[in-house]
Amino acid sequence: MTALQQAGLILLIAVGLAGATAAVHPKRPPFLVPPRDSNEVTLAQTKPWAGNILWVDARSESEFASEHIPDAVCLNFENWNEQFPKFLDRYNPGQRVVVYCSATSCQLSREIAAKLKSSGVDETYFLEGGWEAWKQQNRP
Amino acid sequence: MRLSLLLSLFLAIPAFAQLRWDTTEQSLKSKPGDREVVATYRFTNTGTTPITIDNVHTSCGCTTAALTKNEYAPGESGQIVARMDIGSRTGHQEKSILVTTKQNPKTPTILRLIADIPEPLVMKPTFVMWGVGESPKPKTIYIKVTDGFPIKLLKVDSDNPDIKVDVSEVHPGVELEVHVTPKDTSRPEMATLLIRTDYPSDNPQTYYAYAKVK
Repeated sequence: MTALQQAGLILLIAVGLAGATAAVHPKRPPFLVPPRDSNEVTLAQTKPWAGNILWVDARSESEFASEHIPDAVCLNFENWNEQFPKFLDRYNPGQRVVVYCSATSCQLSREIAAKLKSSGVDETYFLEGGWEAWKQQNRP
Repeated sequence: MRLSLLLSLFLAIPAFAQLRWDTTEQSLKSKPGDREVVATYRFTNTGTTPITIDNVHTSCGCTTAALTKNEYAPGESGQIVARMDIGSRTGHQEKSILVTTKQNPKTPTILRLIADIPEPLVMKPTFVMWGVGESPKPKTIYIKVTDGFPIKLLKVDSDNPDIKVDVSEVHPGVELEVHVTPKDTSRPEMATLLIRTDYPSDNPQTYYAYAKVK
């Protein structure tokens, strides 16, 4: 095997390993992140909805009890049957519902938003950046 | 030259190769009535030195991952048991478990738990609403058993006598139209509609829909 062939082989192996790492690494660069969901909204996008928005906190009850967006309702898969009637107490048809979770990688807000939509809550979205994004922009 | 090639290849192999996993991905399917999905990930320390697993982090609060101990000698095997609480989840679910060792803290192993949680019946919508003062016309909830499920829809009851249900069977036991009517809409009312089934036979499930005047 010539030196050039060896170099080519090493390069091929290195690219393969780098590709595999890029595919599974939790902090992979943004160009590998899937395209944005049409139901995902930023905080700036929710601003014009003030007064006609219902925040839904998809985190655990203990996290919700500790801190949450003012007037938010707690709704998660663990206690759906108990919490959904409380959600309905607060929800009015036509209102926009925005679900948030605890981090950008959290899938819960997306999943709860999908379940609300399939339940008949048409205008349901989930918040980009979740609770941390809201907290950062609403520091005292 | 051959030595330099072998050396380069050796250096290119990531250090996390020390823990060999039987599989890093488990795909499971739950049954109606199951409360959790359990996946086991077995591993062996194939290195020549002991290895310490110092952190097991799950991507969802709904998933726990248990390890019997943290340190594994060369050649020793162990396992991580992940449990995902189903709650009201349905459909395709993917959760991750990040396993970090003391020896390679920057290269965690990602374990994937893929669960297919069948939705035994589909309801559209799961609630109906009237505004106070709105005409108390009936509103309809459609309920259909998912193809392939041996479930029979037995009965639909309202827990509030002021909100009535009238059931039409499109296909007896498998497809229903539930017409919901409030007695009047002059004041707020709330009813939980209990959809009773015969499945599974040892623990028949009841599903819920809601009606509200507000």
